[in-house]
Amino acid sequence: MKNDIFNFRRFGKYFSTDFRTCCANYGLSLLTISLLSPVALYFITAAFNMMLGNGWDGPDMGLRVFVFVVAMICLVVTMPVKCYGRITEKQYGSFWLTLPASRLEKFASMILMTCIIVPVSGALLYLGLDAAICALDSTCGQNLVAGGMELLQKMGEAQDVTFNFIDENITIEDATLAQEIIRQINNPWMYLDEIFCVTLPFLLGAIFFKNGKTVKTILALFAISTATSIICSPILTKWALEIVNTANEDPMAILQMFNNKLFKNLVLIDTVTDTVTNLALMAGIWFRIKTLKH
Amino acid sequence: MITIKDLGFSYGDMPVLKNITMNLEEGRIYGLLGGNGVGKTTLLTLLCGLKKPQLGSIDIDGYAPYDRKPTFLADQYYLSDEVAAMNMKAADYAVNYGKFWTGFDMGKFNEVMNVFEVDAQQKMNKMSFGQLKKTYIAFALACNTKYLFMDEPTNGLDIPSKAQFRKAITRYTHEDSVILISTHQVRDLENIIDPIIILDRQDVLLNASAAEVSEKLYFDYSSEKNPDALYCEMIPGGNIQVYPNQTGEDSKVNLEALFNTVHQHKELIKGIFNK
Repeated sequence: MKNDIFNFRRFGKYFSTDFRTCCANYGLSLLTISLLSPVALYFITAAFNMMLGNGWDGPDMGLRVFVFVVAMICLVVTMPVKCYGRITEKQYGSFWLTLPASRLEKFASMILMTCIIVPVSGALLYLGLDAAICALDSTCGQNLVAGGMELLQKMGEAQDVTFNFIDENITIEDATLAQEIIRQINNPWMYLDEIFCVTLPFLLGAIFFKNGKTVKTILALFAISTATSIICSPILTKWALEIVNTANEDPMAILQMFNNKLFKNLVLIDTVTDTVTNLALMAGIWFRIKTLKH
Repeated sequence: MITIKDLGFSYGDMPVLKNITMNLEEGRIYGLLGGNGVGKTTLLTLLCGLKKPQLGSIDIDGYAPYDRKPTFLADQYYLSDEVAAMNMKAADYAVNYGKFWTGFDMGKFNEVMNVFEVDAQQKMNKMSFGQLKKTYIAFALACNTKYLFMDEPTNGLDIPSKAQFRKAITRYTHEDSVILISTHQVRDLENIIDPIIILDRQDVLLNASAAEVSEKLYFDYSSEKNPDALYCEMIPGGNIQVYPNQTGEDSKVNLEALFNTVHQHKELIKGIFNK
């Protein structure tokens, strides 16, 4: 009996078709965003520096990181609409739905393309070009990859951090707390699953809304964030006040309790919330594909 | 074989199909006729799995179409009345998507494209609507599926293309295929569709082969008017009249006259054909 749920051979065939279709629909936009942004940034900054009499000077690291993040956000916001937005249209949607591949294969390919292939390709192209520019012009300083690695290293070396917290008189000499927080923040997993959290809402919006897909997705995100804040704020405030009261308003004890209850489990809390969010978004995408009719 | 049993479908409070029961057999090219809004497209989309039946059932070789199982989908093709202008060459499109249908034949695709005089190396989003439609028809025929559902395939085709379409349908489809073509341009398909299904609001008025129609109704092309005619229309050089066939004499079925006769005498025709 043939496998109608998931077949690796058929998935490979479907994925290659999906990849080609995405290349045809979005390839040029991907190249424009990934390759034009670093070049434009470089020349515009250099031109401004020349006009201001600073001589030939490339963009600094901060500006380059900012433009890189903006370019990547542009990629993940625009890609789902261009690649999959058409399935809500009768012309393409009826063909797509009756294409002989299973729902799971179509879903998996969609997720793979949106959350991994396109962001990774875009980032590699951008970072590659940035590295090439920096290699050709030393005024740019380090390339983004080297700069990022250095930042991570610095964060990793923050073993001996000693800082004042809340009150100048309170010094955490052994820096245990600081190390704990830095170790948690420094965990790459904290950021990797964020890619899914950013891309999946736009994919769901692209296949859910029939028109005004990006704008409606952004408005829906605003509405959901506002509702979540309204619901969660009183709960979190109550929880924080309980800690303050339990610690008899002793700053060191408060910090220690926050550390024990929150910072120590930061990666776990972040991973659980992100996973729940991602699973909910994936479920939404799955049911949309399942119930889509033309 | 396609078995439709007590099929019902509504858009909100408005019922479109009600208690539709029929079988579609292999080796036939069914013509699905009906006025605007009677549910021709709805029936086709239900058959190919784009919509879910709200009442009753559809069984196609043991599959429920709405499950959209790949094995079932690989044996059917639905050509929508509106087609997408893809951002790729027609030949690339055929290579890219044809591999999903096990019987897809690239040679046949090119052959039908030649019959239609459309360049397969042309980009689809640069084609006219007629050229695009012909590309999709060529693709549909090249898929070599057992079940082929076409919604208004001749819409947007020029006069020579309509003849090319008829030629392609008779030449490039398998003998055991079930082809269902919905149209309200009956003259475009006059000589290729048999049996004929005429849908009315929520009902099937007629589901009969051309031979059955000819056996039960007589199409008189003479200039003399018959007072018993169920339908009469002036045509160049005389009249076309339709009346119950009392003598058993054969006549050439005129689809347009048949359609109008059925619409004007719904219950009478149902009575004649249900005998």
